[in-house]
Amino acid sequence: MTQTHTPCCGPGYASPEAAMRADSEKLLYTTALYVGSDVQAPDYLATVDVDPQSPAYSRVIHRLPMPYLGDELHHFGWNACSSCHGDPGRSRRFLILPGIRSSRIYIVDTEEARAPRLHKVLEPEEIKAKTNLTAPHTVHCLADGQVMISMLGDGEGQGPGGFLLLDERFEIAGRWENQADGMRFNYDFWYQPRHNVMVSSEWGAPRTFYPGFDLADVAAGRYGRRIHFWDWQQRALVQSVDLGEEGLIPLELRFLHNPESTRGFVAAALSSNLWHWSRQNGDWQIQKVVDVPAVEVEGWPIPVPSLITDQLISMDDRYLYFSNWLHGDLRQYDIGDPLHPKLTGQVWCGGLLGKSGQVQGHTLRGGPQMLQLSLDGKRLYVTNSLFSTWDNQFYPDLNAAGSYLLQIDCDTERGGLAINADFYVDFGKEPEGPARAHEMRYPGGDCTSDIWI
Amino acid sequence: MSTYRVEMVNRDGQVLVVSAEQSILAAAEAAGIALPFGCRYGVCITCAARLIAGKVEHSRTVALKPEQLAADFVLLCVAHLRSDSRLQVGLESQWELYRNPWRPTI
Repeated sequence: MTQTHTPCCGPGYASPEAAMRADSEKLLYTTALYVGSDVQAPDYLATVDVDPQSPAYSRVIHRLPMPYLGDELHHFGWNACSSCHGDPGRSRRFLILPGIRSSRIYIVDTEEARAPRLHKVLEPEEIKAKTNLTAPHTVHCLADGQVMISMLGDGEGQGPGGFLLLDERFEIAGRWENQADGMRFNYDFWYQPRHNVMVSSEWGAPRTFYPGFDLADVAAGRYGRRIHFWDWQQRALVQSVDLGEEGLIPLELRFLHNPESTRGFVAAALSSNLWHWSRQNGDWQIQKVVDVPAVEVEGWPIPVPSLITDQLISMDDRYLYFSNWLHGDLRQYDIGDPLHPKLTGQVWCGGLLGKSGQVQGHTLRGGPQMLQLSLDGKRLYVTNSLFSTWDNQFYPDLNAAGSYLLQIDCDTERGGLAINADFYVDFGKEPEGPARAHEMRYPGGDCTSDIWI
Repeated sequence: MSTYRVEMVNRDGQVLVVSAEQSILAAAEAAGIALPFGCRYGVCITCAARLIAGKVEHSRTVALKPEQLAADFVLLCVAHLRSDSRLQVGLESQWELYRNPWRPTI
């Protein structure tokens, strides 16, 4: 079993290098949705067996349904990570599982790793009353027992939202930010404590993105294009960078795992490019380093963007992976020279361009979307649902087919990607009906959860 | 307090009695009828339904665009009956709301 707690130490690992030496993941959690489908059942947290030695390998082995309908479980995170490694009194035990559409937040106890159970529910009415925040998204634990969640809207579904803090008992502690002038929208965030910095990105207001994607909203400036750098201690926005027309809808943000680094990457989903940031002489500099050109599809009036919806960095900071949800390819880049990422692997997993094959006889529907990578960097997991209303626009057949969960083998020596033909989790065959899978995490920590102080 | 009847044409013609003060979604839930919903305050379209006949007050609707309102879509979480009505409900009533802007309209 992956080491999550030892007598000497708290959760996680002493360093990214130590994390890479951990045992392989054996279980994977993913959120599975019925919101926006024609199945009227609650969303749930699925436990998937990813141990190749297990008879239940590549199958859903447990389902924890939420007590309500309509949540849209989306991203989720831990109560503690490697930032508390030095504190033997803490453990990585509770998942914070927000519903982005209901604005409800669930706390899930994973003490029994294969069969998590519901621990606590924070109702949207209480969150609104105390903070005027809605639409919870990214979850990070802080190093002091608190949990921070980016909130994308206010009580009316308008931007810019803010950041919600939960205390150690998962009670609402208030809002994190002291000064947010210049923030127009909110989405993802990541912090790098040794450099006293937090960085956040912009999607749009809930009332804009909830109903679906509309180019008229882009033209009207109702989608984000800025990256915000915050003073982590002062909780104040200190520098905003407008990526302009070439940086529309910047979503997932990743600092390098090395806690000494000021480098990081963000992908602009709609503009379909990758940007690199770093601090130079006290100022945050950001520049575009990869462009994915839009593709002409015969008979379609305008070229189709790739839509980079997720990206992550291997624990050794050598490879960056991103998914092109509309084109259908998943890419591996060597970022050894971070300003000049080199494409080293590419694999097709669905998409609108029709370039994808099958896995175990299954046509790959939807497009590659959420990613999670093993700590050793060799196994990349991918699901194909983005957001229920957007799924219904771009991939309406996901409603009847449900999601896939695939595992891609990553060549970390020479570069390269290949779909593992022995692994296919079919969320189309779930007991309540076809479900859509979204973000994934392992009990022992992964490549998008841990921060080193 | 006025009450009205709403028939759900694609739920075997099931009829629900709704008071004017109650949202159609809340009345359906109280009657044990599971209809889709999300935000519950009119800013997402997960509970959208199509008004086939009748009169509905839904001024708190945010998420529907003018052409969608003109096509008689209503959001059940903020919709109140003002007459006996007929609705098409659920995802099968909603597909016109979901368009890929890059794909040519058929």
